[in-house]
Amino acid sequence: MIEALLKYEFLQHAFLVGGLIGFLAPMLGVFIVVRKLSLIADTLSHLTLTGIACHLFLTQHFSFFLQLHPLWMGMSFSVIGAVLLEKLRHIFHSFKEFAIPVVLSSGIGLGVVFLSLADGFNNDLFQYLFGSMIAVTKEDVWTVFFVTVIVMGLLMLFYKEILFLSFDEEQARVSGIRSNFSQLLFIVMTALVISISMRIVGILLVSSLMILPVATALQFARSFKQMFAYAIIFGELAVVFGMWAAFSFHIAPGGTIVVLSLLLFIVLLSGRKLLGLPVRVYRSKKEEM
Amino acid sequence: MFELSLSFIERGIVAAMIVGVIAPLVGAMLFVRRSSVVSESLSHVTLTGVSAGVLLAQVMETIPMNPLYIGFGFALVGSLLIEKLRQTFHHFQDLAAPMILSAGIGLSAVLMSISTAGYNEWYDYLFGSIISVSPSDLRFIMITAFIVLLIFYFFQKELIIVSFDEEFAKVSGVSTKGMNFLFSILVALVISMSMKVVGILLVGALISLPVAASLKVARSFRQLLVWSVILGEVAVMSGVYFSYHYSIAPGGMIVVMSVLLLLLFLLLPSLMHRKQEGSS
Repeated sequence: MIEALLKYEFLQHAFLVGGLIGFLAPMLGVFIVVRKLSLIADTLSHLTLTGIACHLFLTQHFSFFLQLHPLWMGMSFSVIGAVLLEKLRHIFHSFKEFAIPVVLSSGIGLGVVFLSLADGFNNDLFQYLFGSMIAVTKEDVWTVFFVTVIVMGLLMLFYKEILFLSFDEEQARVSGIRSNFSQLLFIVMTALVISISMRIVGILLVSSLMILPVATALQFARSFKQMFAYAIIFGELAVVFGMWAAFSFHIAPGGTIVVLSLLLFIVLLSGRKLLGLPVRVYRSKKEEM
Repeated sequence: MFELSLSFIERGIVAAMIVGVIAPLVGAMLFVRRSSVVSESLSHVTLTGVSAGVLLAQVMETIPMNPLYIGFGFALVGSLLIEKLRQTFHHFQDLAAPMILSAGIGLSAVLMSISTAGYNEWYDYLFGSIISVSPSDLRFIMITAFIVLLIFYFFQKELIIVSFDEEFAKVSGVSTKGMNFLFSILVALVISMSMKVVGILLVGALISLPVAASLKVARSFRQLLVWSVILGEVAVMSGVYFSYHYSIAPGGMIVVMSVLLLLLFLLLPSLMHRKQEGSS
């Protein structure tokens, strides 16, 4: 494996990108799980697919779009979708949770129409859906690095606001935090991370990489900070070994990464059960009362 | 049987019409139970089943087997698992669906990579393909639709009571466990039968979108059921029609038609309201 890693440049790129993703995705995942937004991550990732399909369709008709990286289109679609989601939650105010399946499924539907208009049902699509390590270029590494720096910077600048919003939305609003702005910021960050992770993990599996390591970390962390640390460790483990397995057995990397993080969760959880430790479950404040 | 005498286009249309009735019907029940998201996760588990089925069929070429049946088996196990998680870990609910979902796709990605089937076969299951509905698929769809309708006919009252008020149902002597089990079977059946027509990634749309649109007009639960079925059927038929004329994947077109219907129903009341204000 190490020989191959030294020999093939694309593998080095893939592992670089994987390392960054294994760090970023679980970190944002902590906020997502705490805020109970796990399905929103899924919705955003499916909307990214719509964006990519739309880009594919447009490039066939307007050469201008050829210069644009499909990622940017995917990202803008998922941000637009996130705004739309908030709107729909107001329309269906008594059935808020219904907004998610509506946006998610209309997103994929549109995506499929774009795809078939562009004749896009081919090998490339499969890589977008389930991830691939072959096609990672130097340019991708730079894009991912760039996005990582931006997201980290934003997270450090607005950590307090986002944290506050995650734990007590009402209190945050009362104490004068611009909650709409922070909410938008958070959604944009999530969309960014989803679109960069897509390269390796695949659209259908991005949200798993954000959620599974956090679910595992929940069992061990004693504080919010520790939760980040554990989630990132589990995420990195899954990504690195998953990519190694994917390369050795010629399997889509998204699949191996997710199956590994699932195994990690099951093994550690049943380990806790065997030792007689309680299985921890995250509860929001309201439910405890 | 008569389905053997149908041409492939007719087979596809018959399958689509059946699915257009059944999916919104079960969708309305799921909506009342506030578990529309469950269908999304389950459909992904079905994908695992189908990929396992295709793989098995490749390994054991001698046994002719329709992957749909194995898909149904997996969907059933998945839905029982979600129901179990829902009951035992009350606070776990939020994580249960996404976790089953990711387990489903993760495994299917691995299985798909192992199998030697071409991409096109997977795309048929992922995004649906009406023209590839085989006589045996149609038989599967007809049998499952029949079972769904039977369950509905015999257990209508119980299912509705359990959906609206689980505690009340318990008190009045309805076996909630049995009903929830029945529900899991219903959902698994619907997902595996819709798969060939709209595709796994789009089943959720056919289950939830017509119901969302009907919510704006229906005044009772019965009306909700009727409207959902009508809108579902309209979406399916117009979707198939346009997909044929513009050669677009039918699953996608059906979903886009249901989105348009939903938008129409969302915007219509406010437009009519404005008109009334203008005239008075």
